[in-house]
Formats: sequence, C-alpha cells, structure tokens
Amino acid sequence: MISLYLEQQSWLHRLPTSAKLIALALSSVALLTVASPWIMLAALLGAILIYLSLAPQGWRHLSAARPLIPFLLAILVIHYFTDTLVEGCVSLGRLLTLFLIANLVTLTTRMNDMINTLQPCFKPLQLFGIQPRSLALAIALMIRFAPVLAKVLESLDEAWRARGGGKQKWRLLVPLIIQGITLSEHVADALAARGGSAGLNKRI
Amino acid sequence: MQGRSVAWFRKTQHTKAWQQTPPTSTQQSDHITLSSVHLRRGQHDVLKGLNLHWHEKKVGLIGNNGSGKSSLIRLLNGLLLPDQGQVEVFGYNTQQQPEVLPSLVGFIFQNPDHQLIFPTVAEELAFGCQQLGDSPHTAREKALNLLSQYSMQDWANRPVSELSEGQKQKVCILAILIMEPKLLVLDEPFSALDLPTRLQLMALLEQSDCHLLLISHDFSVYEQFDRLIWLDAGQIRADGQPADVIEAYRNAVTQERA
Repeated sequence: MISLYLEQQSWLHRLPTSAKLIALALSSVALLTVASPWIMLAALLGAILIYLSLAPQGWRHLSAARPLIPFLLAILVIHYFTDTLVEGCVSLGRLLTLFLIANLVTLTTRMNDMINTLQPCFKPLQLFGIQPRSLALAIALMIRFAPVLAKVLESLDEAWRARGGGKQKWRLLVPLIIQGITLSEHVADALAARGGSAGLNKRI
Repeated sequence: MQGRSVAWFRKTQHTKAWQQTPPTSTQQSDHITLSSVHLRRGQHDVLKGLNLHWHEKKVGLIGNNGSGKSSLIRLLNGLLLPDQGQVEVFGYNTQQQPEVLPSLVGFIFQNPDHQLIFPTVAEELAFGCQQLGDSPHTAREKALNLLSQYSMQDWANRPVSELSEGQKQKVCILAILIMEPKLLVLDEPFSALDLPTRLQLMALLEQSDCHLLLISHDFSVYEQFDRLIWLDAGQIRADGQPADVIEAYRNAVTQERA
C-alpha cells in the first residue's frame, strides 16, 4: 500500500519535489541495469537507511512493503525454477528497493507540490489533445484512492468471513472491480460538480 | 465549531463564471425554476413533466427511495440534463450555460469518500480555489485562512483517510463553501452521522449565506426550513411549510402500511 504524506519536517521533506522525482527516475533506471546481488543489497540497505533517517514516524512506514511479500516470494519461486536463485534475489531486491524509494517520495511530498511539478512535464502531451492538468490530477486520484479501495476490499473480506466464506478469496475480485467502477462513477460526478479535471479558470 | 460566518471570504472574492456571464433570463435571478421537466433514465420515467419554482433560502426535499429526488438535484448542476423542459438556476439555463454551473451550484454527496480528491485537508480545500483559477500559492493561503476561521488550523495537513465520517463530511462542506456557490445542494449528507455531528454540520451550513436545497430522511433538520417539497414517483405530491408536508407524508406512509 502506498503511504500518504507524512506530516513532519525532515531533510527529505525540504528537498525540492523536482529533485526527488528526478532521483526516483534515475535510481529506477540505474536499478534496472544492476545484476550483482551485492550492489542490489547495498541499494536496498541505502533505501532502508533513508527511512531510518526520518525518525520513528518514518521508519514505521517500512511496513508499507508488507503486502508485497506474497508477490515477492512468488517471483523468487518462479526464478528458482526457471532461472537461478541469485537472479531471483536480484529481481526481488530491485522491486522492493524501487517500491521503498517511490514510497519515500509520496511520504515526503505534498500532493499539490507533486501535481504542480508534474504538470509542466506533461505539457508536450497537449499536442495529442491530452490536458496536462487532467493527467496530473489522475495521478493524485490514484494515490488518494489506493487506501479507499483497500478499505472496500477489507469490507468485502469481512462480509465474506461473516457469512462463513472459505479460503477462495479470489472470489472477492469481481465485487471489488464492480465496486471500484461504481466508486469511479461517483468520483467523476463529484469532480464534474467542482468544474471537472480541466477546471473553470474563470476568475479574473 | 465557531459561530462565525464565511462572509469574510467574500471580501476577497473574484469575478466568477456566473458573474461574468449574463443569465438567460434577467427577470428572476433569485429564482430556481423547473418548467415541464421530463427525465428518463434507462427504461424509467424518473421525472414526469415537473413544474417547480422557488426562491426561498432553505428548501428541503423528501420522498421515498426512487422517487426522483437525487435525479432532480442533479439537474440543477448539470450532472443530468432534462429530456424535455427547461431548468433555470438563478436565471441561467442549465442546457445553454452549463459552464457557469460548477461555480454557481455547490454539491455535497452522501458519501464523503466519493468527493474527497486530495490526501490532506488543506489540499482538498485549495483544489476548489485552483478550479476557479487561483494560483496554487493563493489557493493554499485561502484554504489555511478558511481553516483558521473555523479554529481548524491543525487540520491542514491531516490525511483525509484518517478522519471520521463526520469530519470528512465537514471537510466536504468547507471544500464547497470555499468555492462560494450561490446554491448549495446536499444529497443526504447526514445519513451516516450521529446526532451531535449532524447538529454541528447543520450549524455550519446555517452560517453560510447561500441558498440551500437539502435531501434528508431525518425530518428534524427541516425545522428551520422555509419550504419542504415531497416528491412521489417523479411528481410533486405536497409542497409547503415543513411541518404540514411532513405530517402529510407520515399520514400517507401510515395509510399505505395499514
């Protein structure tokens, strides 16, 4: 689960949003080229060290990676059978490090700052008829509604268990998708009622 | 909640879409009028030739589930357009001048999770100002000012996902009030809230000087209202003083059950 903004003053909070986003992009590209498990381990430890520098409120958010564990283990098992365990460990380390670094950006950057930084980057897309503000807003919505969808899944799971549901939890996928679509319709209505994704820009 | 009005905010107000655009009708600029409105959704006729006209500040709307209340209020801010007939809000025709509606009509939905877009309170409030053309800096300043007017400064960076339902609805109301609408439409905003929170939010709404149109199944909120409309199967069944309409509605429900 992506963590939301952490209200405190740290060296990472004070860094300009553009610097954080560039660092995220560069480290993502760099990590893709790493094949050595030792370098990957160093990168992972580096990411963990940054969390530790954010005081207890910050390093508590390392647990945000917990929901990834089943997927990471699955990746490790697939690599074990199709490749080598070392390559599996490198892939696992890469995903985990990337997740932790991306999470650091959302933890220490206000959504508005992120939108205002990203919006000019999307300007070239205007050539293709895509509004930069709409795209930046879509990113904000994605981050904002991650915990809402998690809450929906939690409610569905409770309802499933309350009625003696078994271990076939994949069955929750369809109602989750349906509720997700309904939620998106409601959110679209609410956004339209406030002027839509492009805004009104009618004040003088 | 502090007993202060949001009038302070009007001192800094800008010219908005509806202030720049002349209304279609210049005769009834304080009136809301639905003329022979027919609305069909799917296979159902939701509103059947509805004629309605009001100018009162506080108007309530009641009716059974499926009676067309939510569809009616969605006609007022252009989320729905009538299949036949005309809707005019303060002289602006919703079909001919839809661009003025978001700044003219504020809308509060039943579930706050459906309308809170940003992760923190101040960002959510600032969004409304940015929608109306304010710079990010000015928008944030205005959001912080509004929060301080209600002694809620410490709410600014609170994640909306960690607020209670009542607190979320409070943020939704402020997020709309900061856009200074002339009409505030509320679609069952108190249905999941306890009594103290309802009273607190009603007090907040009463401080605003905009027109209110409220749908609620809690009839006690209509005590101070000017007018109540009972919608039944897409048509008006009763319209008048809240106490009279509520009595008529209760009698009808009792008779139907007997």
